[in-house]
Amino acid sequence: MKDMMISIRRTPYQSLASFLILLFTLFLSLFFFNLVAFFHGFLGFVETKPQVTVYFQNDTKESQISQIKQKLIQTGKTTSVTYISKEDAFNIYKNLEKNNPLLLEMVSAEILPASLEIKADKPTDLAEIASYVKKQPGIDEVVFQKDIVDKLLTFTTIVRRTLLFIYALLLAITFMVLMTTTAFKIALKKDEIELQRLLGASTFYIRKPFFEEGAFFGFISGTVAFALFYGVFLIVYPLLSTQLVGIPDLAFFGLGNLDLYVWPPSIIFVLASYLLTVCFGMIIGVIGSYFSTSKYIE
Amino acid sequence: MIKFENVTKQFPPQTVALDNVSFEIEDGEFIFLVGPSGAGKTTILKLILRQFAPTSGGVFVNEFDLSTPAFKEVERLRRSMGVVFQDFKVLPEKNVIENIALSLKISHASNTQIKSEVREALELVNLSGRELYFPAQLSAGELQRVAIARAIVGDRDIIIADEPTGNLDPKTSWDIMKIFKKLEGKKTILIATHNTDIVNSLRKRVFNLKSGRLIKDIRKGGYDA
Repeated sequence: MKDMMISIRRTPYQSLASFLILLFTLFLSLFFFNLVAFFHGFLGFVETKPQVTVYFQNDTKESQISQIKQKLIQTGKTTSVTYISKEDAFNIYKNLEKNNPLLLEMVSAEILPASLEIKADKPTDLAEIASYVKKQPGIDEVVFQKDIVDKLLTFTTIVRRTLLFIYALLLAITFMVLMTTTAFKIALKKDEIELQRLLGASTFYIRKPFFEEGAFFGFISGTVAFALFYGVFLIVYPLLSTQLVGIPDLAFFGLGNLDLYVWPPSIIFVLASYLLTVCFGMIIGVIGSYFSTSKYIE
Repeated sequence: MIKFENVTKQFPPQTVALDNVSFEIEDGEFIFLVGPSGAGKTTILKLILRQFAPTSGGVFVNEFDLSTPAFKEVERLRRSMGVVFQDFKVLPEKNVIENIALSLKISHASNTQIKSEVREALELVNLSGRELYFPAQLSAGELQRVAIARAIVGDRDIIIADEPTGNLDPKTSWDIMKIFKKLEGKKTILIATHNTDIVNSLRKRVFNLKSGRLIKDIRKGGYDA
């Protein structure tokens, strides 16, 4: 620890550069991580909605509908297929329009169609399911959220790819800055390293303080990035809450049973974010030092 | 044991630093390497430290054959030696204890071993009471004592000193030599020096070098510069 403090004191600007670049990278990592986790959770939420609704003609028999339902289940591409009879549809309608007695009087169970509500295993299978259903007898109309899901899928793919590209670039810059600052520190410790070599120090012994310093910067930067990110988050949280009203709890990659919720963020998710950020920062710091010492100490 | 067998060291393009040098040093011997600048004294010390390999011939230190082109045990070899330099090479941001302990830490000594060995070394070089001083607070003679203490701690049974009194006044030089003399018989000591007074007074074995050749191996004798 003392050696590390001496090294930081001896190269204040280089140390500040290492800290700031790591802080910037880790802050953005945290932001990207939360964004991707949110979109993933949101996509999961959309997928739980009925994605294809099949309305049947008035004269279609229940046995025919049941056959179609069985065939759909057998495709293995659906997560659920729910039959909504005319009576069920009327009850739903009544519930929706309970404050409008005039409308209720005009509608009876007979004029409402029976339907099947289908949820797909993968959103990409929606078009295929819809096209299959359309070919069945007794179908009046097939409505499905192709556009919404397609747009969401396209959007999340673009977001993921863009973030990946920006992130790769950022990581490359981070490593270059870390390597340059470490190289400078190595140059300043040239005499000490030479002495250590003459006294029989192993390469790992010589490199260890640089690894420790990298890990230290990763830890500090990760902690500060976390504090900044969640500080900003707490400020914008009321605004986000009003904008995202109606969206239920979004689990982090289906890990709701572990109380890992992206929205609203659970304590466990926040703690996991902190641990990930700090570990990631330490790993970047150590890898940066590793490359630099590999190149310059030998 | 240190053994040189017909060792030649040539640096490109055609500088011959050592020319067919042979000698054998038994454990615990005290040797002076003397000769004018460029005679090959430092080259011998660097060959023993395996800072480079000989161009031809054999260099043997204890169980190690340093002439092997791909010698893999440099670290272990160097951990069996202590080195003292003319310019001390004491680390300015570490205090006396930390500078001495560096050798032991590199040799993976335990904390208990470090404490006891550093204390013994400090007594031997008469630096007790200055444990927490930093190099900037010490005189040149004291800095060299720190360097000697660093060289003798641990299991380092060979002490190599390159002009250890080169930057010191005559009185301090003698004080430093007295420390080396205390180690006689316990460790193998090789000192490269220009100081003829000291060499002649101490009457130890002397290797007299000139233009890369060992011109005299004087046992228990003085030497004429």
